[in-house]
Amino acid sequence: MESEATWFDRLVDALPNTRLFQFIAEWILVPYWAARTPVKPQPGGPRMAPQPSENLQHMMNLIMPLKDKSPIGRAKAALAIAQNVDEIYAGLNNVGTVHFARFVLVDGNLCMFSVYDGDFSNYIRDFIATIGSVFNAIVALIEDGDAVIPCEHHVEAFIDWVHARDLYQVPDLATDLLAQHNAAASGDDLRLLPRDLILQLHANPNVSLGSGYRGYPAFSVAQIRQKLGVGW
Amino acid sequence: MSVAFIPHELQGNILRGYRRSMVRYLLLEVADRQAARIWLGAIAAREGADGLSITTESAWSSKPDFCFNVGLTFEGLRALGVAPDSLQTFPTEFVEGMTARAAKLGDFGPSDPQTWPAPFDEPARLHIIASIYADDEPHLDQVQAHIAAAGGGRALRIRGTREGRNFNGDVVHFGYRDNISQPRFAVIHDRPEISEPMAPLGTVLLGHETSFEGLFWRVPQPDPLGLNGCFNAFRILAQDVAAFETYLDQAAEELLVHRLTEHVLKPGDEAKFGQGISRLAALREIVAAHMCGRWRNGVPLALSPDTPNPQSPVSLTDFDYTAQSGCPVGAHVRRSNPRGGKIVQRIENHTRRLVRRGIPYGGPYDPTRPDDEERGLLGNFLGANLGTQFEAISCDWLNLGLQDPQITGSNDPLLGANEPATSWFDMSLLNGASIRLRGFPRFVRTRGGAYTFLPSIPALRYLATLTG
Ligand code: HEM
Repeated sequence: MESEATWFDRLVDALPNTRLFQFIAEWILVPYWAARTPVKPQPGGPRMAPQPSENLQHMMNLIMPLKDKSPIGRAKAALAIAQNVDEIYAGLNNVGTVHFARFVLVDGNLCMFSVYDGDFSNYIRDFIATIGSVFNAIVALIEDGDAVIPCEHHVEAFIDWVHARDLYQVPDLATDLLAQHNAAASGDDLRLLPRDLILQLHANPNVSLGSGYRGYPAFSVAQIRQKLGVGW
Repeated sequence: MSVAFIPHELQGNILRGYRRSMVRYLLLEVADRQAARIWLGAIAAREGADGLSITTESAWSSKPDFCFNVGLTFEGLRALGVAPDSLQTFPTEFVEGMTARAAKLGDFGPSDPQTWPAPFDEPARLHIIASIYADDEPHLDQVQAHIAAAGGGRALRIRGTREGRNFNGDVVHFGYRDNISQPRFAVIHDRPEISEPMAPLGTVLLGHETSFEGLFWRVPQPDPLGLNGCFNAFRILAQDVAAFETYLDQAAEELLVHRLTEHVLKPGDEAKFGQGISRLAALREIVAAHMCGRWRNGVPLALSPDTPNPQSPVSLTDFDYTAQSGCPVGAHVRRSNPRGGKIVQRIENHTRRLVRRGIPYGGPYDPTRPDDEERGLLGNFLGANLGTQFEAISCDWLNLGLQDPQITGSNDPLLGANEPATSWFDMSLLNGASIRLRGFPRFVRTRGGAYTFLPSIPALRYLATLTG
């Protein structure tokens, strides 16, 4: 039953929209919370699901901060991709489980966005085994990249490195999102957006909102290729 | 960068099986760190601690009364006082432990680690898994008593035991002959009958060349600790024999009246299955063979698609898979090792090999006297890299069928997390067509397990020198 809102309720509800409150929240409240309750950044990428077909067409959103974020550094990254793109694409084809992959520069980050089937570690390991030597030239341009190249000799560390830079995927549904972040499960009231999610976004500023839309879910690359008759 | 192969520095249960009729696993917690370290150092010595020493890869002059080996969990290494910067050099899957990897392994629902009985319900207290192999119980008891008394009884706490025994040679529950295929290593000559491509030693031992050209696994540091070590996925896999046999009945009944029944079994060919065997009984065997990829007597479907008793004997291991193979793509052995057959992940042929050491637990199931006794397989899946071998096979091949578009989205018929409402499996018929079987449940549940590291002998000595 809806009760009559008092002037005080209305004030409290409106508070988050005031400039003053937003300023205090951003500069004092959230940093204070975050310092009091350190939140571990959630691991990146999708989680394996019990239903086999849900483990197809996973998305990777790999964000790699460039060492040199100036236009010159960004140009170098663009060049490194252009110089190696044929080999990288041929390699991805050989990995066999990759639907799409592309490279994008966003601010000072080189990003690789891809859609792949199955387990993340297997994807990255196969990637290393197929085109690791080519990818080393690109990782050399990335902050903290030197520690994991040549990736053929740092397989485990490289997989962990990529995993750490793959964006955390916030659950697809608001209900799951609220549940994962311990909200009192009560509909889609954004005012209840839980503290835990805010702290997570503080620790993990870039995230993927959900796992993405698929026009033809539950098909692997090889199944699509087989159906199209283009060989797999 | 390959290191030398020195047999007496390796634990003996890695490269070959002891072929003993009984195994007892002691699930141990380090109770007194210093006493436990001294004990590890003592069993690493050739003369051993009061006569108990690790069985190594050295050749035997005479067969010992028992064999004995140890594996350490990540929590075990920590409990023994391995330094944090050394612990950090172990691979993530081992650090996290088997329970944290449940989703990848299909350990949910009735296999969920939350349902595992003690001591697997407290993985942080499971530190060492000691294995004793013998042909009689007194020897198992003798070693167990020794361990209970280690360090004046202070070193280790026995938190549980699991015991397996062979009841019919290499036959396991579900009635299949197991222990046939294993990777073959150039340095080991004990099973000349295995005819498969050679696997590099780095398939199982850290510090040696791996099966991926130019790829090396990280050797946990320092070298004396990591070199020549091996990782193991220890699994307690309960098998529902009654459900399995019931399903064979159900599927055979369906095949009996199926419009393609003559392509499943040519009328008149029933005799190939044995004197006086009924068509229904023969069809049951065909279903069982297709689910596994081998007839229950071990004969591979790839070489003998129509009978378990080929007129001229066939090799049990020398075969490969082609598009025309009589072995279904989704059969257990083909899923877990597609050999040289065409697969989606083009570089994965022969790179995910596992050394398997398993023994049944629980008595054989007697259909005339159904019981509720738990029975299954105490399985060890060994490899130099758990992620590349055990986990990769489990999640992408067994549980997802990613290796071939014809099976993608389906689970392993023998051990997958199947639900009758959604499960499916395609049998391949003699005429090249297929029949889809449906409605089978999950036959295998995980009831415990742990990732362990099987250290070399120098590694045990290294652990003994730790202080603090
Ligand atoms: C209770 C559970 C299981 C049963 C009853 C079972 C049964 C069998 C049987 C009968 C064979 C054929 C014998 C042979 O080739 O040596 C076999 C082979 C094999 N199994 Fe299993 N298995 C089980 C669990 C597993 C698991 C969990 C894995 C891996 C994650 C696995 C991997 C393999 C491999 C790699 C082979 C050899 C295939 C080849 O090289 O051709 N098995 N299994």
